[in-house]
Amino acid sequence: MSIFLNKKTTVLVQGATGKEGLRAIASMRAYHTRVACGVTPGKAGQTAENVPVFDTVRQAIGAFPEISATALYIPPSAAKAAMLEAIEAGIPLIAVMTEKIPLRDTAYCLAAAVERGVRILGPGSLGCLVPGIGRLGVIGGPLVEDIYVPGSIGVISRSGGMTNELSWLVRRAGLGQSAAVHVGGDLLIGTAYAELLRLFEEDDATKAVVLYAEQGANYEREVAEILARREFTKPLAIHVGGAFAASMPEGSVVGHAGAIVAAGQSAADKSTALREAGALIAERFDDLVELVQDSARL
Amino acid sequence: MNLYEHEGKALLRTHDIRTPNGVLMSHAEDIETALRMIGGKKAVLKAQLLSGKRAASGAIAFVETQEETARIFSSWQAKGWTQVLLEERVETRRELYVSCLYEAVRGIPLLLIGEEGGSGIESKGNIQRFAIDPRDPAVSVKKIAAELAGISPQLPTACEKIVALFFEEDAEQVEINPLAEGADGSLIALDAKISLDTSAQGRHPVWSEYPHRSALGQASTDREREAECIDTGAQAHRGNAGTFFEMDGDVATLFSGGGASLVNMDAMARHGLRAANYAEYSGNPPKEKVAALARLALSKPGLRGALIVGGIANFTDIKETLSGIADALDELKPAYPIVVRRSGPNEQEGLALLRACAERNALRMELFGKETPMENAIRRLKTLML
Repeated sequence: MSIFLNKKTTVLVQGATGKEGLRAIASMRAYHTRVACGVTPGKAGQTAENVPVFDTVRQAIGAFPEISATALYIPPSAAKAAMLEAIEAGIPLIAVMTEKIPLRDTAYCLAAAVERGVRILGPGSLGCLVPGIGRLGVIGGPLVEDIYVPGSIGVISRSGGMTNELSWLVRRAGLGQSAAVHVGGDLLIGTAYAELLRLFEEDDATKAVVLYAEQGANYEREVAEILARREFTKPLAIHVGGAFAASMPEGSVVGHAGAIVAAGQSAADKSTALREAGALIAERFDDLVELVQDSARL
Repeated sequence: MNLYEHEGKALLRTHDIRTPNGVLMSHAEDIETALRMIGGKKAVLKAQLLSGKRAASGAIAFVETQEETARIFSSWQAKGWTQVLLEERVETRRELYVSCLYEAVRGIPLLLIGEEGGSGIESKGNIQRFAIDPRDPAVSVKKIAAELAGISPQLPTACEKIVALFFEEDAEQVEINPLAEGADGSLIALDAKISLDTSAQGRHPVWSEYPHRSALGQASTDREREAECIDTGAQAHRGNAGTFFEMDGDVATLFSGGGASLVNMDAMARHGLRAANYAEYSGNPPKEKVAALARLALSKPGLRGALIVGGIANFTDIKETLSGIADALDELKPAYPIVVRRSGPNEQEGLALLRACAERNALRMELFGKETPMENAIRRLKTLML
């Protein structure tokens, strides 16, 4: 039982005929992933990277009832409607790759998803990847085989580029990844660290997790809580980026949209709270893997 | 985008939320008119700064006479506090705290109410939290009307308006501290701290009328203002290359991706390198955008080095983006050392192109791929700067 993806995962791409949608279909198919079809309103009957395109999510599911995940490459102004379409159709995993979706729209869709019992990854995510199984989105890009290899370290990142960089650190240490997940950089995200850690706890392949977090929006508080409650018991190494921002005025935004400088949410405050809860804190990003590699090699 | 108090109060008034009579002053000549407009009453002067804790930093003053007003106004001008809001002083019997914001962890909007508002609210505690359903905020507020009325009779109506403003104006946060209760029970907003969600700019064309301000919450520098134009226009949707603000160090930076920029800024600080700017591009921007950002970052006077660093890109084309940086370097031909660490799609072509640029311009440049950790690039630059 791997994280989010397995051999049977069947993917729909919303916004399939745009530049990003086309690139994503090609990337996923080039890495073991079954993309059944795409949706672009008004383009039914066309194909995108050789998969059929439908007008609506409902029509796509009618043709491919086995669809179990969707990846959205939709401009921000149309993202809310597309997310709601996927939520109403009950697709269990909805990865929202669109960046710069207004918070009001994200909040609306997150509330709808909770009610419908479906999971949103993102917004602003690059998706997730399980080495040797598949990827939802474009994580790894053309270098995917250089960076990712099946292994025992779970990778979670607030940043898309750092998902690769962190997975590359794992690979350089002679290890592999059980899964890599980019949660997205926005203030509001559908799937945050604590929820992922619970999944990694259940995942037999995972022996340890490395997490790249950032100052701002305090998703780490939940991590400290589940560590304290022993809901996550595997070794966990965390680096919190953005220590330099402590010298900046409150309200400044650096890095990602969610990285707002605010009281009690500095990199130092978060690191202290996480360390007290039992996480291994990497003062330098480059030290993340070193902290867990011994347990991962057992 | 954080609004100045006077901008926030203007927005409150458009939603029928009362604020004291006031006048924004930027010249000493404005004082007499301003005092007359508030009816010669006792006044309060408030420097228009984006930073919080103005009371503690002396940016709020109560004045009785025109002479006193003029004296304080000129001392503030000398400090660079150029915009000053002069308001009538309002008699109040109680100060409440009201804020509407998104709580990240549960992903829902919250209405926060404190019965003891005013400065130092952070330490007073005792703030009640009410969840607002983003799908029907008005109904959520109606459901808690009785509780709100128990705090102050007119609070339910005020909260309806504040919550409506929060959603309709695509705010990230609306904080009114204090929302003061007058002798007649009426409520009036004595301060306004509003921040707008820039992702929603597209549905608020009027926001373009707000004057430019830095991400650091200060007035923008010339180069920062130029950077704000990079992500507008025909190429607006193609990646981002407009995140740029200036600092007082001597190392230019061009980082790729939000995460890499934070990690590298932290590493620079650890190694004692001081950034002259924070510049970031991501999401596969076209080379013209990257060139525009690179020109701004690399042309600041007094630079002693430059770092061009990113993590391993997923889909940002290294050849395309580095060719933008090469264009800027062809024009600027800087003498200071430059260290590059980039990896991702088309990295070989990109690094080769930049290497050729360095050779034809005799630049002091070193280039690295993913085999070299990002922090090593910083160490290397430090050595080259000695």
